[in-house]
Amino acid sequence: MSNMVYLMTSLPSLSFDHLPPITIDEFNDEAKAQLSVRHFRLLESVDIQQLNTEVGKKSIALFLKTIKKDQAEVRKAKLQNRQAQPERLPKSALSGNPLEREIKILQWQWQELLDMEAGKTFTLIEVLVYKLKLQIVSRLYSFDPKKGAEVLASVVDPVKNRKDK
Amino acid sequence: MAGMKIKYTKTERARQKKILKVSERMLPLFEAMEKSLMATINTIAERIEQIRGEIEKNRKAAEPWIAVMSDSWVSINEFISVNKIITKTVDVAGVRVQQFVKVDFNIMAIDEDTPLWVDDAIELMREQLQLLAEIECLKEQINLLEEELLDVRARVKLFENRRIPNAKLAIRKIGQKLQDDERLTIATAKVVKTSKQKEGKL
Repeated sequence: MSNMVYLMTSLPSLSFDHLPPITIDEFNDEAKAQLSVRHFRLLESVDIQQLNTEVGKKSIALFLKTIKKDQAEVRKAKLQNRQAQPERLPKSALSGNPLEREIKILQWQWQELLDMEAGKTFTLIEVLVYKLKLQIVSRLYSFDPKKGAEVLASVVDPVKNRKDK
Repeated sequence: MAGMKIKYTKTERARQKKILKVSERMLPLFEAMEKSLMATINTIAERIEQIRGEIEKNRKAAEPWIAVMSDSWVSINEFISVNKIITKTVDVAGVRVQQFVKVDFNIMAIDEDTPLWVDDAIELMREQLQLLAEIECLKEQINLLEEELLDVRARVKLFENRRIPNAKLAIRKIGQKLQDDERLTIATAKVVKTSKQKEGKL
């Protein structure tokens, strides 16, 4: 417990509107030093990018499962040319261009995580949620128009792109 | 014509007349071919510009969301690549060229954990890659047509500047020579006749 308190108090606070003050690797190093092997292994298995639903914590597993399910429903609906009926994801998050949609989805995930950690101060859930939130903001701030344009160019016109460089 | 050796015979004149007739019949055909090739090249160049416009339009439409393509979770270039550009052989202005049909893509299956924007990006990239492939095919067509155009222009010049004027000149020269020869023969015959008549009087 004391280690959990130490870990959580030593970590910088995260905000959806600000650049992440810590990297995933720095967080992992910090967590590895403070958590037990069992808890750290659990932390490693929690990953919003991979959407690994085989997680020892029910609430987290359910959250990741819902994301996966809703994402699959949106894709299926698009293929079937009908309106998507996601289980938890608000339909409002599905409007706008792909970037706006992705940001709205991340916002919704962030909000869900805030609800999940409420009242769970200095618990393993708080640590796991911290990792997921950190993954969300790290991803959010990786969205960059200039780099995005480079990525598009590298796929659609690799020859021109090489010449320009 | 300089250095050209002319045989001043009736057979040669007939041969030159035949060359002139054929050349005068061929010239308009090559001129028409030249016009047709130029028009086709212009049409293809216009189509290339039109496709470039479409590419730019797609790029502009994607500009508001292009930032998502730098998503640290996704390497979009792993999802789509060109396997093969499929073309068919067609005849354009008398030249055999490859016409764009479609692009065969390698598209990686999308997992459930793949962010939703990837679907839109693949759609956009597929569209842009198709348009770019079409431009490449059209450029290749222009190259082939320009080669043919150079050849046709050389033929037009050959007929206009050498074959036709040379044949005309040869026909004129042979005609003059044959006329001179005929006059000379007549004059000689007259002289012979006159001298024979004189000999007879004596």
